[in-house]
Amino acid sequence: MASPSESDRKIITRFLHKTLHAVVASRVPRLHHAAAGPASPKNDRWFHLALDDHPSPIDHHGAVMDPLVFDILLTRRGCSDVIVERWTVRCVPPAPWSAASPHHPHDGSFLRRTYKKCTILLRSIYTLLRLLPVHRIFRLLCSSSQPYNYDLCHKVLSFAAPFSRAQEAELKQYSFAPVETMLGHLVVSVQYRPSLTNFNLEVSLPTPPLIITDYVGSPAADPMRPFPSSLPDRMSHPIMFQYPPRGIRTLAAPSFDRPHSWNSASMVHHPLSSAPGPPDSELGLSLPGHYGHLVPNQRSSMERKGSSGFDESKLSPPCWTSPSPSPPTRVGNSQQSRLHSGTAPVSIPMPATENNQMHRSPNFSDPFKSLFPPPSPRSTRTDLFFRESPLKSRSFIKHEGFSPGDIHSNLHMYPAYKAIKDGRDDSGRFSALSSGGSPGYGFSSSSRQSIQDDLDDEDFSYPFAFDDVDTSDSQTRSLDGKETPENAGSHKSREAAVGILVQMLKTAAPLRHDQSCSMRSLEPNGEASISSSMMSRKTCDALEELQSYKEMKNLLLSKSGAKLQDSVKQRKESSKTLILN
Amino acid sequence: MNCETCQLKELVVEPPEIREVLRSILHTILFHRALGLVRPKDVECELFDIIYVQCEDHELEKKIDEKINQFIGWVEKHPNRKSQVCISFYEVKNKHATWFGNKIERFYWEQWYINLHIVSPKPHGKSHNTKAHVVTGENAFEESNSRCAALGSSLREVLLQIINFVNEKKDHIPPLQNSEIVSFPYEISTPR
Repeated sequence: MASPSESDRKIITRFLHKTLHAVVASRVPRLHHAAAGPASPKNDRWFHLALDDHPSPIDHHGAVMDPLVFDILLTRRGCSDVIVERWTVRCVPPAPWSAASPHHPHDGSFLRRTYKKCTILLRSIYTLLRLLPVHRIFRLLCSSSQPYNYDLCHKVLSFAAPFSRAQEAELKQYSFAPVETMLGHLVVSVQYRPSLTNFNLEVSLPTPPLIITDYVGSPAADPMRPFPSSLPDRMSHPIMFQYPPRGIRTLAAPSFDRPHSWNSASMVHHPLSSAPGPPDSELGLSLPGHYGHLVPNQRSSMERKGSSGFDESKLSPPCWTSPSPSPPTRVGNSQQSRLHSGTAPVSIPMPATENNQMHRSPNFSDPFKSLFPPPSPRSTRTDLFFRESPLKSRSFIKHEGFSPGDIHSNLHMYPAYKAIKDGRDDSGRFSALSSGGSPGYGFSSSSRQSIQDDLDDEDFSYPFAFDDVDTSDSQTRSLDGKETPENAGSHKSREAAVGILVQMLKTAAPLRHDQSCSMRSLEPNGEASISSSMMSRKTCDALEELQSYKEMKNLLLSKSGAKLQDSVKQRKESSKTLILN
Repeated sequence: MNCETCQLKELVVEPPEIREVLRSILHTILFHRALGLVRPKDVECELFDIIYVQCEDHELEKKIDEKINQFIGWVEKHPNRKSQVCISFYEVKNKHATWFGNKIERFYWEQWYINLHIVSPKPHGKSHNTKAHVVTGENAFEESNSRCAALGSSLREVLLQIINFVNEKKDHIPPLQNSEIVSFPYEISTPR
């Protein structure tokens, strides 16, 4: 049987071990994570406080009477370690001359009281550990998966250098009531920092933020980002997807450098691809705020046949159908971007070319499915149009500065283009666009949708056969059996940007029956029709024509009616004569 | 045997805060008096930046919650009053057998008085001016936050007070009578 002093020594040793265990378990995240699990029953038995077992080294191998000091250190990158807590546990032997030197009975009652008091003391230490400021940091480090620029560690010492006066001034001390043992008084104290706000403790990023210089924004992010350089100045509503042909400048001359999904290889010869821009190495992603400055050199990318100059796989499927904010553009174009926030790109049928892998299949439902919105009936028709006239479409590919929306217009303008196929210059086929906001034949507001309709029409044999159909005028639509309410309904699914474009074209609309008739008559001579088509028409003129046609119709009907009456009279007379005879 | 009494610092509490405050205080006291085998459980206060320790014992938690609910019911009937919740530890002694039964005596050796001043939340001042109303609402929010922070600080002081008392007064604790988690019989008293 152990002597009381040995039992006392054992209690003290176990108390030291348990205290260190409790402190480290609530201060060192590394050991907290490495906890093996619930402590063994043998360890739990001591002081009836079950703590999670921890791997060594925690054991204190010093003498019982040696003080045990464990420092809790706050480690930070680039800074020296700071002691935020210092726990000191020591057994202070009583002074031999002290009158209070206890004479303890050698029965077990004193040991039981000592053990009970140590149990209560340990619970107090455990509770205080949760009330001190450092525990909050410990919990942050344990609970969060994010890396921080600081960490907590500990040191176990038998002797620690005392704090300097400056350090002591920053620390507070709390001392527990000593527990009387046979070997002396068991004293536990803690020096701690009452506040840790002085330390710049924050989440640390594993890598510094990188600026992506070749960011290619998602079309969903900015489907209506204006393309550079060439929109007519008079077009106060720069239509993002009415990609202006070369020579037409946007109000803010954005750079057509970004390889949008519509800037495919088919756009190599787009007029606007000649716009200056960053080199191809910048193709890819860029931060939104620097979008306009980091767009790739569209010219160099687009001029390469068969190569889109960018990886379409980088492009996210455009969310054409939903309005989305425009990506940042070059300086000066932000206003246009804002004007068009909420607009969405248009389904652009891309002409198939031999050099454009994307367009090998004229059915752009396959190659363009990820790049364009779900094909509308019109786009399908357009596809068919391309299928029928690959040569024509190829000629469109050579156009620079096309926007996806412009392709439709360009298709509509094909005869005009053919007439002025040399007119890639700014004063060329797209001069109509610069004429007072009424873009002429290809871009008339009235013809915009009519173009769409007719492109969708399988029977359509030439671009302007549908010119007599005015999508802006339901009456004129009704005159053309090709236009169906279903097509009108399909237009409803187009994005708002297309709506703006169409609206603009409508307001500047030419193209009525006269023009369409003239175009038909000039079909063999498409070049001649171009000149007439280039004349701007007013809506009022079209209405006047309609009225004139109505009058002619009434006249014809009246004449036919008169003739019919005459014939009826003659028949009656003849019958009468026969009867009389 | 002396009965040690501890009057805890008075806390000004609004009704929604009563539960959190009483839980933290009662569990802290009982953790120090649960000298049986205990697996401590850290509990984070929802309203305050305080973590206190519970004994992982469902019966104990249930009993404490029942008493808290009882107190809250009394507060609802008697709003805006100062009140006390008392937790007492006693020994059962002197079972005198009588003609009518066994008389059980309780000797209280420790009593804790939790002093609470229940106040009703301040209503926001009405204002016809929208801006003034927004400003009033913002001021009320700030006041509420500051009051809650002050209450959290006071609660932390109360918990430290418990630790101080527990460590200073140990000689009056009787010997362990059972191997249960809470080693000593106790009772929680609420106003009636």
